[in-house]
Amino acid sequence: MASRLYQWIDRRLKLKPLEQTLLDEPIPGGASWNYVFGSATLFLFVLQALTGMFLMVYYVPATDHAYDTVHYIQHEVWGGWFVRGLHHWGASAVMVAIGLHMLQVFFDGAYKRPRELMWIVGVILLAIMLAFGFTGYLLPWDQNAYWATQVGINMVGNVPLVGDFLVKALRGGETLGALTISRFFAIHVAFLPVLIAVGIMLHLFILRRVGPAGPHDETRAKAGSETFYPRQVFMDALVMLGVFGVVAMLAISMEFPLADRADPSDHSFVPVPEWYFLFFYQLLKYAPGAWGPLATWLLPAIFFTGLLLLPFLDRNPDRNPSSRRVVLGAGLGFLIVVFSLLSISLRDLYAVPKRDPSVIRGMALVEQFHCKTCHRIHGEGVNVGPDLSFVADRRPDREWHLQHFKNPQSVSPGSFMPKFPLNEKQLNDLTNYILTLKSG
Amino acid sequence: MEDGLSTPVGTRRSFFVKTTVFISSLIGISLAVPLIGYVIAPALQRRNKEWVSLGKADALPIGEPKAMDYTMTEKDGWQESHATKGVWAVKQPNGEVTVFSPICPHLGCGYRWDQQDRLFKCPCHGSVYDIQGTVKAGPAPRPLDTLPSKIENGDLLVQYEEFKSGLPQKVEL
Repeated sequence: MASRLYQWIDRRLKLKPLEQTLLDEPIPGGASWNYVFGSATLFLFVLQALTGMFLMVYYVPATDHAYDTVHYIQHEVWGGWFVRGLHHWGASAVMVAIGLHMLQVFFDGAYKRPRELMWIVGVILLAIMLAFGFTGYLLPWDQNAYWATQVGINMVGNVPLVGDFLVKALRGGETLGALTISRFFAIHVAFLPVLIAVGIMLHLFILRRVGPAGPHDETRAKAGSETFYPRQVFMDALVMLGVFGVVAMLAISMEFPLADRADPSDHSFVPVPEWYFLFFYQLLKYAPGAWGPLATWLLPAIFFTGLLLLPFLDRNPDRNPSSRRVVLGAGLGFLIVVFSLLSISLRDLYAVPKRDPSVIRGMALVEQFHCKTCHRIHGEGVNVGPDLSFVADRRPDREWHLQHFKNPQSVSPGSFMPKFPLNEKQLNDLTNYILTLKSG
Repeated sequence: MEDGLSTPVGTRRSFFVKTTVFISSLIGISLAVPLIGYVIAPALQRRNKEWVSLGKADALPIGEPKAMDYTMTEKDGWQESHATKGVWAVKQPNGEVTVFSPICPHLGCGYRWDQQDRLFKCPCHGSVYDIQGTVKAGPAPRPLDTLPSKIENGDLLVQYEEFKSGLPQKVEL
């Protein structure tokens, strides 16, 4: 049925030559798992576009509604958490796919003449993808979105001469607010998609004009070519399924939480950027004093200029890795720096003391027994009894607290603290919490 | 085929082709089901009706219609709005309370109680109803619409509903 319909259309539209152009493209050295990264990236991009369109069904880009609409998607619409999860994890996956794609091209020397233009367009596509990540991050309008974007925009302010102007242009005014969210939305869902679609078409157009690079190994390359369809397509499809499976599993198992609604007056919030910006975030911590502002714009500028010019800086025509030790060494060095920074940053983030569940139960007991009607803890409660904000500094002794909770007067004669009916577990939880109340 | 250009043939080829089609369909279906459900689900969801308190039922005079206003929260997707609704409550001698929708079943105007004639009168097209809501005059196709109501702990509770106008029977909107 489908094939008869196809023939019917083919008799009219003469699709055969088109089919040949699209499917019989020769892959030098034959189909290979090495070439799947570009297709994986393209697949993830399509997934982002699709899930993004669906998110737009309910999303409203305004400061007074954005958070509610995302909350609605996440918690009320059937399957909304999954669609949002796919979009969130898809964004991370696309960065990984681009990274692997670039590594493969870099390692195989596929950016060299005559493929310089394809590489340059690819680097521009990477920049567009990062811009997608940055603009999309603000849209949920939660605390993380607001403060991370605040930091990101302020970094742009360090650019000499035009910094202030750029910051205002990005925000749409003096402060991050209604005009910021609407322009970020427009950039995210209209300007960037058009740009990237043109970029991808150009990238693929160049690929078809120049042809795939094939293996760097001369003997393998000369062994003959294979048509793109069906074996390479099959490999690509299998990888797409794997990628989709991973993204879907992540969306299902690790729900991407919505933080509290953005509160511009809450300066205590510490935002964390997306992991693909983390290495840079960490790097900035090492830029001393006056170098800091310079590092925020100069390093990315050097990085992108270097990437764009790579095919012209590395003029060695040989694609074989064994004769490209210096370039590959530089690339490896760069990766080591990036991954070290990323891992330090992740370690620091996860070193933020996670609360022991027992401590959380202890905190709940403080509320349950109304301890704060007599004690003050970090500004909350009444000073009838001692302020407990830093009580563990004065009394670090666990046994003393356990005894004190069982029978206050036994260790603190004359105290008018009542005995509370606490069981062993509760005594333990409460003491664990009390011992966390210390400075530093 | 050009020289040096190879391509799988026979069963090997059809294996690649069929697997590719299978994989694409698998991805397509696993995406289509949640995405379509995501768009359609809110459309199929019935508005959930809440009982709203109009106040103490004791305070109502027996046999005298009383216009009562109350504020209800309407949930429209992600948006919550507060709307003030007015209804007519009539307490019967046996203590039961009938609550009328404030909208004339003829074409949707607001009617009022004429104390002198002891009739509900609609100013738009002259429909007239008695205190039971029965049509006494005018073009109205059906009696006044009653709303679900109950008395709990002395509070008069009502569910707000709207009905299509102009029909001989009550059809909920």
